[in-house]
Amino acid sequence: MNLTTLAIAFQSVIGPVESDAIDHSLELMGKGMLGIFIVMVLIYALIVGLDKVTGGKKEKQ
Amino acid sequence: MSEFSFLVDGVQTMAANPKMLVMWVVGALLIWLAIEKDFEPALLLPMGFGAILVNLPLPGVLGNIAVDAAGHTTVEGAPGIVTWLFQTGIETSEAFPLLLFVGIGAMIDFGPLLSNPRMLLFGGAAQFGIFLTVVLAVLLGFPLKDAMSIGVIGAADGPTSILVSQTLGSAYMGAIAVAAYSYMALVPVIQPLAIKLVTTKKERMIRMPYNPKSVTKTTKILFPIVVTLIAGMIAPDSVALVGFLMFGNLIRESGRLESLSQTAQGPLANLITIFLGITIAFTMQADRFLNIGTLIVMALGLFAFIFDTIGGVVFAKILNIFLPQGKKINPMVGGAGISAFPMSSRVIQKMALKEDNQNHLLMHAVGANVAGQIGSVVAGGIILSLAKVFLA
Repeated sequence: MNLTTLAIAFQSVIGPVESDAIDHSLELMGKGMLGIFIVMVLIYALIVGLDKVTGGKKEKQ
Repeated sequence: MSEFSFLVDGVQTMAANPKMLVMWVVGALLIWLAIEKDFEPALLLPMGFGAILVNLPLPGVLGNIAVDAAGHTTVEGAPGIVTWLFQTGIETSEAFPLLLFVGIGAMIDFGPLLSNPRMLLFGGAAQFGIFLTVVLAVLLGFPLKDAMSIGVIGAADGPTSILVSQTLGSAYMGAIAVAAYSYMALVPVIQPLAIKLVTTKKERMIRMPYNPKSVTKTTKILFPIVVTLIAGMIAPDSVALVGFLMFGNLIRESGRLESLSQTAQGPLANLITIFLGITIAFTMQADRFLNIGTLIVMALGLFAFIFDTIGGVVFAKILNIFLPQGKKINPMVGGAGISAFPMSSRVIQKMALKEDNQNHLLMHAVGANVAGQIGSVVAGGIILSLAKVFLA
């Protein structure tokens, strides 16, 4: 069975659920968490960079 | 006597729509929680009173309004004051939640994070509950835009929840705001339960020495500016949230604007809070609010809060696999990566002292907690960016 073409559709508590919506929500989870970590790692690098630049200045003073 | 019919018009309208009476009870419950239980009283009290105000019969504070299927409000004649506040402060500009961020930014000291930047990772990991909740909400049958808005309750950040649900045009904005602020008040109850569920006593007793590096004033001033630049380039939809948060922080750290900083932290934040609460009540009109969806939104909000905490804790446990003995992280600190500041860090400190009365985790938890502030607004911005792709 080719799972990539498996279409799911059922009636849930609030309304109908389509496989597209499930796919999108899972994709959102993957991309969302990846996006957050990318931003956080960039800010991490920024803090380390700022510390190196301004820390050096402080030592000279 | 027909000229005195106005005396009974209201009663007749109430009799025709008894749901309004139920909303009075909901309003009273919120006021009771605010006053008796001290649950986020600054928000829940105005929201509770507002829920009563907007569920009085006849035009009153709303005016003659009609709400279309997309949730947009049209007003016939002059809008009532609550309608006007909603349209001006939230619907057209999202000004209230954004202005509140200036105050929040002025309140936050990023020092503990700048001296221990690895805590940033927990501010990212503890947003996991948001995305897991989106999946669950979709499985329950919510449209994707509502599912995304509901997930953001897990950010533990009221203004971000309001802004995202408004931008995405969610029909559950009122329930989302009530859930976000109610659960934020319940952090001292929810977090210990969630943390104990996924940690052992031995893990909760891990000690973490605190040797902060000194942070220069230049770093503190440059940090909000550069973070805004990064957010603007990487996640442009988060730039309003991040920008206003960082603007408030820059006022604080500049050292030249003490008066403005105090105004942003005090009078500005208080004024916006008063009006935000009563304005959000616009979305608590009986016909909109009283449905099974509202109850499920409340339950999903709790789920999001729990799994945000678990996300942070489990991430710390994963990091511990790779860290040498003596450098290990107390997993509870990961749970502080949510945005409920400073409540979450206090909860972690209390839990740590309960397990070992010499284990002081407060400053580590504060670092993770302020990282959670950044993480939650970034998560909100990323959801708005991805919404453009998925909802196109």
